[in-house]
Amino acid sequence: MPTSEATTPVGAGRVLVAGVGYQNLRDLSAGPLVIERLGALGDRVDVEDFSYGPIDVLFLLQRRARYAGAVFVTGAKRGQLPGSVDHRRWDFPTIAADALQERIAEAVTGVISLDNLLHICGHFGALPADVTVIEVEPADDGWGEGVSAEGGRALGEATALVRAEVMRLLTR
Amino acid sequence: MCFKNLPVAFDEQGKAYLKEGVSDPYAVKSNGHAKTQEEKIRSLLAKNGHIKEVSIDPVTRVAGALAFHSVVNLQDRRVEDAHSMATLFRGYEIILKGRDARDAIFISSRACGVCGGVHANCAAEAIEMALGCPPPPMGVVVRNLGQAAEFLYDHPLHLYLLAGPDYSAAVLGQSNPEILSKAQSAPAPHRHVHGYATIGEIMEALNPLTGRLYLEALEETRRAREMTVLVWAKYPHPQTIVPGGISVTVTSQTLNEYQTRLNFFFDYAKKMIGIWDDLYDFLYEVEPRFHEVGKRPRNLIDLGIWEHHDGYDARYANATAWGDRRWATPGVVIDGKLLTSSLHTINAGLEEFVEHSYYGDWVNGRQKFKTDELGTPLSPYHMWNKETLPKPAGRSWREKYSWATSPRWDRQVVEAGAYARMWTTAASRKIPKNPYIETTGTSMKMLLPASALPEMQVEWKIPPELNAIERNRARAYAQAYTALVALNNLIAAYDLMKQGNTSVSNEFTIPKGHRMGVGFWGAGRGYLSHHLEMENGALLNYQILTPSTINASPKDPFGQNGPYEEAVMNTPIIEQFKSQEEFKGADILRTIRSFDPCMPCTTHVYAGSQTIVREVNTCACILEDEGEPVEVGAD
Repeated sequence: MPTSEATTPVGAGRVLVAGVGYQNLRDLSAGPLVIERLGALGDRVDVEDFSYGPIDVLFLLQRRARYAGAVFVTGAKRGQLPGSVDHRRWDFPTIAADALQERIAEAVTGVISLDNLLHICGHFGALPADVTVIEVEPADDGWGEGVSAEGGRALGEATALVRAEVMRLLTR
Repeated sequence: MCFKNLPVAFDEQGKAYLKEGVSDPYAVKSNGHAKTQEEKIRSLLAKNGHIKEVSIDPVTRVAGALAFHSVVNLQDRRVEDAHSMATLFRGYEIILKGRDARDAIFISSRACGVCGGVHANCAAEAIEMALGCPPPPMGVVVRNLGQAAEFLYDHPLHLYLLAGPDYSAAVLGQSNPEILSKAQSAPAPHRHVHGYATIGEIMEALNPLTGRLYLEALEETRRAREMTVLVWAKYPHPQTIVPGGISVTVTSQTLNEYQTRLNFFFDYAKKMIGIWDDLYDFLYEVEPRFHEVGKRPRNLIDLGIWEHHDGYDARYANATAWGDRRWATPGVVIDGKLLTSSLHTINAGLEEFVEHSYYGDWVNGRQKFKTDELGTPLSPYHMWNKETLPKPAGRSWREKYSWATSPRWDRQVVEAGAYARMWTTAASRKIPKNPYIETTGTSMKMLLPASALPEMQVEWKIPPELNAIERNRARAYAQAYTALVALNNLIAAYDLMKQGNTSVSNEFTIPKGHRMGVGFWGAGRGYLSHHLEMENGALLNYQILTPSTINASPKDPFGQNGPYEEAVMNTPIIEQFKSQEEFKGADILRTIRSFDPCMPCTTHVYAGSQTIVREVNTCACILEDEGEPVEVGAD
């Protein structure tokens, strides 16, 4: 559930958990689906669905105080074992200016992508230093509601990983 | 005479009829041009080492999936052949079949992430026609306010983030360093408006990622989006646009907040016009060949947009009357002359061909609707008769090579764009009387109110030629035009509110029986139509025609190239390069991007019962014929 900006001092000292992805793409929709499963994670954690244009996410983050850490969840085809879950720190890789420009062009023309979000928000300094990315490798990347059996297990694993990451960030 | 190729004439009362004595009035006979052209090109390639195939896939800095193949004579610096390829299938027509007609608003909206509201509005008008349910005046005005705000986002996006970088110091410094060098000392005539002393400074400010104009545009997209959300509640893909109006509550506070943001755009438009006029006048002066870049005949089409709140009744029979009262007037321009502004006549001239597209022919001697409800003849290739029959195949320049169709008007190649909208509006002189916009027949005069900058009169003149520069220049003026349409509608909203006329929607019922409808609308980049047929409220057929389908169209059965192809083939190669390997296709890209391609698409194919099962992506990088193409990494 989104945290109300009106009642909460968003940002400073807080942890952000965000899902990113298109709806109804089966296991590829892991980002928004994990966010649905998580529910609220306490007063110091903002749990949100960032499944929209990365430039709009950038503006949102720029308006808020800097987060202490962030955890992003998505579904992504990386050629890993279907239904596996990858969990890594985002180490702010640099990409060529042309490539970044192309990602911005995609972002302003409607593409929803965690990779684009991380590169763009990173470039403009809107991300905290401590960013974790959790990715579900889809077993089913077709169209429709629900997820595959492997995807369902992966969502459970991803949800647990998010909770563990949040705990780590809150107790640092 | 309105139609030159279709066998349609008009009687003394202006009623259209099919000419007598024509045995097969809408016959289509392929002239075999594509095959002949292909043989000629193969022969040229075999004999000449300086003639190269250039494949650009994907074309970057555009929305969606577009690839472009051309054959370039690097010695004579000209393009010998061109093929525009929409590489992904957009299956919305199929997804919508059989659904509740009201779903079209929300489903078709997803056809594009850039134009996140235009399809919703277009679908709403098509459904309103079928239901006989127009919105109340405030409903019309609020839709217009959102639609204008969406375009206030779209025009700067095109000029500064997508096409604009083609004229930046970073790109020109590579493609034409001699021009950049001259620009650095060339004074900018409108520096008192936009603040840049030289053309070189403007080019630096256009640099992607670091330039002031690029970054400013990125930031200002937020302001326009806020305006859209204020009146439509959500963007993209508003859930509030419904048949018969809009489901938002508009208060004076809403209008005030909208106005506060709108005030900014008056000054922004003044600066945009100064910047692009200065830059383009300079380019014409130092390199006259820019007149030829992207040039094609002045053949344009637009359906108009932004209903007048006292004019729109959603009835097809009155479409020409309410079309004439819109804030942008419909029209077809052939050879630079306005041929018609009647929505009925424009509709009657529309056809879509699939000779070179990955679709099956649906005609086969059948024609469901021979006329519209007024008795105006319709072609079997008209959207109300069309069926979407996807037929993926291997790519062949002689046969099929694109997921775009070939829409034509009176079997002529017409182009869509924001500039087409300005052109038809300026030429027709039918814009509602208002204090800010005046159309003269050859120009559009606009009075931009004072904000931080003083009040300013600007005038967009119908250009004597249609090329890449004039397409882009018109977008800068379109920003002023759009802001002033928004202002006129804002004033109308205040007036309606004062009168207590605040209702934003009318009730409707889903009728029994057979109904037809069409949404005549527009996107930021021009023409948009949705044609529908429904039975007891369920869609029997739904056809979407977008501006980029028109512009990206492949060759037609008559051997005519689509607008991108035509414009690229007319483009001289101005770019400087020492070897074939250095060639980047900058002029080709400038040409394509000037159309503001938007390839709204979905990558999925229908398999019955609205089930979408697999991806189809026809990649341009695999050539069927022998020979290695030059792969150009678009900047």
